[in-house]
Amino acid sequence: MHKTYRLGRVDVPVLKGATLHVKPGEWVAILGPSGSGKSTLLHLLGDLDQPDADGGEVRFDGRSLASMSRRARNLYRNRSIGFVFQFYHLLPELNVLENTLLPALVGLHRWNYYRRIGQLRKRATQLLESFGLGHRLKHRPRELSGGERQRVAIARALMNNPKVLLADEPTGNLDEATGAEILDLIVQQHRDGLTIVMVTHDPAIAERADRVVHLHDGRIAE
Amino acid sequence: MYHALLTNRYLTSRVIPLIAVAAVALCVALVIIVVSVMTGFLNMVRDSGRTLMGDVVISYPVTGIPHYERLIDRIEELPEAEAATPVVDSWGLLKMPYPDGANKDTETVQIWGIDPESFAKVTGYADTLYWRPPTEQQLKTMADDDPRRQMDEQVLLDGLALRDSRSDRAGIVPGIHVSVGNDRQSDGSIRPARNGYWWMPQWEVTLTTLPIATGGGLLEPESRIFPVVNEFFSGVFLIDDKRAMVPLEIAQRMLHLDQGEIVDEEQLDDDGLPKVIGVDPAKATMVLVRAADGVEPDELREQLVGVYDAFRAELLQDNNAFVKPPPQGMGLSIKTWEQQQADFIEPIEKERELMRTLFSLVYLVCAGLVLAIFWAIVYEKTRDIGILRSIGASRFGISWIFLRYGLVIGIAGALVGVGLAYLVVRNINTIHSAMGDPPMWLAIIMLALALVAIALTVYHGRRGALMPITLGLLVSITLIGAGAVILILKDRGGVVIWDPSVYYFTTIPNEMDSGTAIFTMIGAVIFSLIGAFLPAAKAADTDPVRALHYE
Repeated sequence: MHKTYRLGRVDVPVLKGATLHVKPGEWVAILGPSGSGKSTLLHLLGDLDQPDADGGEVRFDGRSLASMSRRARNLYRNRSIGFVFQFYHLLPELNVLENTLLPALVGLHRWNYYRRIGQLRKRATQLLESFGLGHRLKHRPRELSGGERQRVAIARALMNNPKVLLADEPTGNLDEATGAEILDLIVQQHRDGLTIVMVTHDPAIAERADRVVHLHDGRIAE
Repeated sequence: MYHALLTNRYLTSRVIPLIAVAAVALCVALVIIVVSVMTGFLNMVRDSGRTLMGDVVISYPVTGIPHYERLIDRIEELPEAEAATPVVDSWGLLKMPYPDGANKDTETVQIWGIDPESFAKVTGYADTLYWRPPTEQQLKTMADDDPRRQMDEQVLLDGLALRDSRSDRAGIVPGIHVSVGNDRQSDGSIRPARNGYWWMPQWEVTLTTLPIATGGGLLEPESRIFPVVNEFFSGVFLIDDKRAMVPLEIAQRMLHLDQGEIVDEEQLDDDGLPKVIGVDPAKATMVLVRAADGVEPDELREQLVGVYDAFRAELLQDNNAFVKPPPQGMGLSIKTWEQQQADFIEPIEKERELMRTLFSLVYLVCAGLVLAIFWAIVYEKTRDIGILRSIGASRFGISWIFLRYGLVIGIAGALVGVGLAYLVVRNINTIHSAMGDPPMWLAIIMLALALVAIALTVYHGRRGALMPITLGLLVSITLIGAGAVILILKDRGGVVIWDPSVYYFTTIPNEMDSGTAIFTMIGAVIFSLIGAFLPAAKAADTDPVRALHYE
């Protein structure tokens, strides 16, 4: 894939023909220095951004995202993938339970709301309890520690049982011990069969993945 | 379903939306209050017409309509007419019983000579008589010192008959504000000055009229002493301040409109006096007609035009009738009350529409406010938009959050605005009275609150943060200002905006114009939504990658 950003009058190519295949159930770590285009690659995979025109494509389960309708791509982001960001990105006005429920609410049709909301609440609560956050359900993000916030973010990413978890430096903003806890949580999800694509610049974290690829000068090297 | 959750949280977790709701509410309330008062004023003008003059007026000023009884008989045969009554209308001087001493005040009054019985059928005369025993209902709210508590039925009966039962003489019923001794209280009731000493129905007045000859010249003034038998209170200040009712036949006599003989001075009769060749009938300058129930005044007017023509044709052929009624158009007019007052009503209607249009600009204020506030909110929520997109929210879904937000603010603002307008309009006379005589306790409360605000400002501002100091000073200055304004008003005797001598009515209309209220509400909601469109579109277009990195 190719991706070029335009900064003022200057074109800045970020990805210059990066190719990556991820098998179901695989954990791929993308290693690379700052500014090498790791996050851009992840955004393209998660359909938050699109490759340049004639700059390649993202295929999921054999189907090109570019060929899908807007609605199908919204559904892809909602159901098939889960995002975890370095800075958690929780909504400050919602409490822990509501933040976790959000992807389910986004994907839920109005008519099904009252029929399914009880069941969804139960799933979100179970997820949070399994992450040790059962006592924090009604707390706002600002009342949580960094590690707790990231656990909520992971719970949110997993809420709709996605096939792929896209994690952008998930431990980058945490101290070592907390980072290790978060990583254990991700490892656990991987053992349960979740496909993971994780961007990191920390080789020690990358080592725990099934496969490590390096992104250098906009290209992938195994 | 996340829209509802987010709209709800965005609305309740910050102050800005409340400011937007308050701004929309104030705009809505402003329009409704202004238009309601103007509509109420117009309605009062229209209603007072029926109360004071019936539905249609046939008038021929100064010299009057002869044989009016025959005209009235014809009118009362019409199914469209309920009743008709003759009136003699002129101007006179009323010498009042006050002050003490030889030099008495004189008021210029409009004299209405009426036949009380038929006049009460056509107009609301009976209901306008002020001095009467109170009903059970009135007793509940009437002040203890209200002189009407001591009234007996006779004063009302005398007013209705225009006759003083004690002296068995014809009486006069002036408007309540003709006498300067009648003080209107804040509750609308009247107290005769000097603890009831100047209660008019225990005094006599002298009426002087200037009759006009058929040729147009002035005749000798006529004077007559009348006992005041009651006073009427129609609510229309210009009428209550100027008009006085006397019995029809006496007014006719005093104005030389009564029946007389026509003589031929060239011929002498057996006694050597000029020969009587006919009768000059009594005349009325107006005939007031009330429409039957369900008949529009315009419909009745059209019928009356035909009736008058028939009446005139009949008299033109009557050889015994020496004095013929005038043709239509030659000073004789047949008009509905509204047509007669058109010069007065139409400008007010135009002014109301102008006000409605000008004040409708506040819709743009609504739209601008919502746009500015939402624009700021969209900036503040840029990262949330990125997050929502990353978990699958559609562009329409994102824009719907903000449109819904605008809708809620518009509806909430409109409802609060209507509530506020209702409270103000219903209590507008109380508010106005309070402005005329500001309550001292309010000033004390304002100044006490100002002291509390100053204390809180000092307490919270001691760490040097500017926000509590600025906010505290702002609140303190506002409260001190409000307290000071009240004290100044108190010192200067208050302000009277609704001066009855300017606005005709003694009370401000206090009915909310529901049509305007509904239109204004709908307008506020639509324009709030329009204000939300642009920020909503901007939110939908936000690039999720940039949004996620937005700080």
